[in-house]
Amino acid sequence: MEAIKINVNKQIDGYNFSIAPSLRQLLKSWFPDAHPANNIFVAYDTKSDFELYYGKLESYIYPALLGLDSKNDLHKKIDEILFIDSHTGNVMHKYKLTA
Amino acid sequence: MKKNYHLYLGKAGHLTVMSEFLTRGWNVAIPEVDIGDDIFVVQDDSGTLRRVQVKTSTSIAGQKSYKGQFNVPISQLRNNSNVPVHYVFIVRHNNSWNVPLIIRQDYLLDLWENNKIGSVNRGQLNLHFTYAVEKVKCSKIDLSKYIADFSDFPIIDE
Repeated sequence: MEAIKINVNKQIDGYNFSIAPSLRQLLKSWFPDAHPANNIFVAYDTKSDFELYYGKLESYIYPALLGLDSKNDLHKKIDEILFIDSHTGNVMHKYKLTA
Repeated sequence: MKKNYHLYLGKAGHLTVMSEFLTRGWNVAIPEVDIGDDIFVVQDDSGTLRRVQVKTSTSIAGQKSYKGQFNVPISQLRNNSNVPVHYVFIVRHNNSWNVPLIIRQDYLLDLWENNKIGSVNRGQLNLHFTYAVEKVKCSKIDLSKYIADFSDFPIIDE
């Protein structure tokens, strides 16, 4: 099973989601039109407000962070996305990709 | 050599790097409370802030090259916040500072996690850089593209 890793750093004021430069490069090679970001910061209150109305933030973070549009073929390359606590290495959240 | 010489060398390295940023039109500040960042580098007009950590070393001479040794705390490297740290590595060689190697935190973390750069000892990433003419290597990985890589600090002349 292929998975990609999104690092999650819990800061004093919110979560910082980031991906490794090598993953950015890999995504660009898979999807030349992709515009992966270095990181996305979400304050704790923004996250809780968002999740009250829309559900888990992670499902919305990954397309923005990976710079992919909604009609991407990421599921053909990988099976899941792991959100990893960058301090402990623990998996905080798993997102399964489906066709 | 003077007792605690490394403290003098470290401060001299800070000031050298600060001077370089000032020359490029970026303002610099040393935090009043030491929380791990050595220098704040600021673009005055926009308020853009970059965090800089300066790492200094004396040189160990070889035949056609020289080496510099540096330590980076793993915990700091993994603490990837929305304002990443730029690591500036400089070596005092033949009575002058060499051209700095500038590696942003996420790239250095990636080099360690995926390219196995350096070695870990007591929570510190030990890096041994080998400098030759316009080339730098560490753990057989070519780091030459990071020599004087001021791409995140463009010259501000207006």
